[in-house]
Amino acid sequence: MTVRNRGALAALAAGVAALTVAALVACGSQPAGNVGAEKASTLASTPPATASGPSVPVTAGELPADAAIIPPVRLVIPGIDVTATVNAVGINERTNEFEVPPSVDQIGWYRHGPGLEADAGSVVIAGHVDSAKQGKGAFFRLRELNQGDTLTATGSDGEARRYRVVAREEYAKTKIPLDRYFARDGKPRLTLITCGGPFDAKARKYRDNIVVTAVPA
Amino acid sequence: MQLSYFRRVAAGGAVAALAFAGVGALTATPAYAATSKVSVVHGIPDTPVDVYVNGKKTLDNFKPGDVAGPLNLEEGDYDIALTKPGEPIGSAILKVDNAAVPGGANISIAAHLDAAGQPKITPFANDVSKVAAGKARLIVRHTAAAPAVDVRAGGTPVFEDLTNPNEAKGDVDAGNVKADVVLAGTDTVAIGPADLNLKEGTATIVYAIGSAEGKTLGVVAQTITGLHSAPGGVPSGDGGQAGTGVDTWWYVLTGAGVLLLLGGGVRMATARTGRK
Repeated sequence: MTVRNRGALAALAAGVAALTVAALVACGSQPAGNVGAEKASTLASTPPATASGPSVPVTAGELPADAAIIPPVRLVIPGIDVTATVNAVGINERTNEFEVPPSVDQIGWYRHGPGLEADAGSVVIAGHVDSAKQGKGAFFRLRELNQGDTLTATGSDGEARRYRVVAREEYAKTKIPLDRYFARDGKPRLTLITCGGPFDAKARKYRDNIVVTAVPA
Repeated sequence: MQLSYFRRVAAGGAVAALAFAGVGALTATPAYAATSKVSVVHGIPDTPVDVYVNGKKTLDNFKPGDVAGPLNLEEGDYDIALTKPGEPIGSAILKVDNAAVPGGANISIAAHLDAAGQPKITPFANDVSKVAAGKARLIVRHTAAAPAVDVRAGGTPVFEDLTNPNEAKGDVDAGNVKADVVLAGTDTVAIGPADLNLKEGTATIVYAIGSAEGKTLGVVAQTITGLHSAPGGVPSGDGGQAGTGVDTWWYVLTGAGVLLLLGGGVRMATARTGRK
């Protein structure tokens, strides 16, 4: 074998090696994919309203009172080592977006939506995947959750409520059906949201949202 | 005395019929939605009634201060009559014939006193458009025998110079406010103060009812839910550690791999030709 030949072979081998590594990395960085998307959308659908019967509902026209809502205060997800304090949060006035707690080890419950007591609708808790300044967030590993994983949300009443994951979905932020995840009707469910997908280092933004849907276990 | 009172009520009915037609003109009618939601609000003090719709008794012994509905009514014309409880429809005390209910609307029909204390029926088209996330809609309707009023929240007038039978409305931050009603331009409290819990994504409609002269001023409230909007987004990360895209070095590596393969292949080929 000539020197020339050996050089050519080495180049070929190096090329194959480089492409193999690249292919492996590309596969490894693929999103984990959606599971249970259909289940999640079924939960959000409401049965058609029954035709109004002969009796008309009559209520005393009193001023609306404070509703007895039970906010979640603690969330534990053993599968991904999450134990986090839950804060009641609302809307950022400036951006009209969900006010995720600035501290990345804390997560936020959407106080305008249902609480843990609700027998319908989506209880929404969102948390950071990470932050440039603080590092990994409480929901860094949210995308690793799978169907059947369990989690526990404890309410302000001290009661621990168990949930079972039925779906994990990834949506581009421009396409995510937020109305469905912030619905106040449909089956009772817990919706966990964080960021994911490719990261735009210039805009310091993730392209996608990861959404995990769980139902009372 | 009683009889003359009822005559006046019947006269009010004619006015109401005209007002109904007004609602039809004001409310846009989407072609796909033929039914409307109709609520009935009772704001005439001391006068319980039976309510008949198209000759059929729909509400039995409907009491002042109560809200009935919503009823799903097909688009069309309806005859509405109020009688004293148990009395036949022939002796109705307030009547509206051929009241036009437009399709796809949300209407509240208020039985109340006009500014001079005469009973009448006024239909209001309810604004059920979505409110922004975090907001609640407050609608105040003057349906009392009283002069013009201001509505104050936390002591500051928010709606001014409201007269019977008109409404004022606004979308405000959801939450609790202390509200009262004062005679327009004064600090003379006519109703309240009361704590209002304005729940996010709802419309709270407050009717001022009764009579200033009769010292029966009060409020009736109606709440419409389901007007909420989702937040604009859920921004929850700016670190990039969880990014699943491939970085620049991946493209460099792939490019280098391709070049090496091509280069090596060419050399192999030329080497073979060289040996021939």
